[in-house]
Amino acid sequence: MDVKLTFEHENRDTQTALLRVHGDVTIHTSPRLREELKPLFSASIKEVRVVLNDVDFMDSSGIATLVEGLQWSRLTGGRFILSGLSENVRDVFELAKLDTVFDIEDSAA
Amino acid sequence: MTAKPCVQDVSFPECESSHVGRLRLQLNCNSDCVYVLRSIVAVMSARAGMSELRSNRVAVAVDELFANIANHAYGGKPGRVEFETRIINHSDGSVLLFDFRDYASVSWNGCLKEVAARRIDHANPCPGGLGLKLICSVSDHCEHDILDDGNRWRLIFKLAEGE
Repeated sequence: MDVKLTFEHENRDTQTALLRVHGDVTIHTSPRLREELKPLFSASIKEVRVVLNDVDFMDSSGIATLVEGLQWSRLTGGRFILSGLSENVRDVFELAKLDTVFDIEDSAA
Repeated sequence: MTAKPCVQDVSFPECESSHVGRLRLQLNCNSDCVYVLRSIVAVMSARAGMSELRSNRVAVAVDELFANIANHAYGGKPGRVEFETRIINHSDGSVLLFDFRDYASVSWNGCLKEVAARRIDHANPCPGGLGLKLICSVSDHCEHDILDDGNRWRLIFKLAEGE
């Protein structure tokens, strides 16, 4: 159980942004995820990828933040990809009926 | 200079933690207290013999309910929350039960059945309103009572044979 959320940014090229998330995404930490995620969306970035293979727990505040990311990607015309979801996190997306809304890749980048 | 105690807002009103089937806690609704509740869920779901996946679902429901109380009933301000969890063995089956009691002046007055039945707009998903929907989808029973001085919420999870 991680009370703190940490991040790693990777820019593979000028058009792709990758954000690795480490920790649990909860009501306590989701504002930090939003802070890290929002600046990634711009007209020049064609793909934002969020790697979640080190996230064991996510509640609706985390999913809501990622829904915002999806909305930002639609506004800027880019792709928004989630990858490396654990069984527990994927289960929460399925329970929320949002697993088909997101572009989810099985393996972590 | 006197150091502040590291835990100021968590107290055990009665020492019942040694009782196998029951834990009680009184806490302030700071957002970091979700981790305290998750620890309690981990203990109780293990005592109930739940799988890791089911235990996570219970943790999500408890987390969401606490977040609702903290954000909506108390509006992000400090407020007292009493929490109790029990394993109850009935002749027709066992359940894991969670009770929340708050003393907020604001009460949720929606309909849980409507929340459970609400459909997600896949073309334009909304970031709000997911918490109660998740609670309704993972718990076997969720009830809410508006009291004169706050709210009471109850979540019930049926325990399957072997749990």
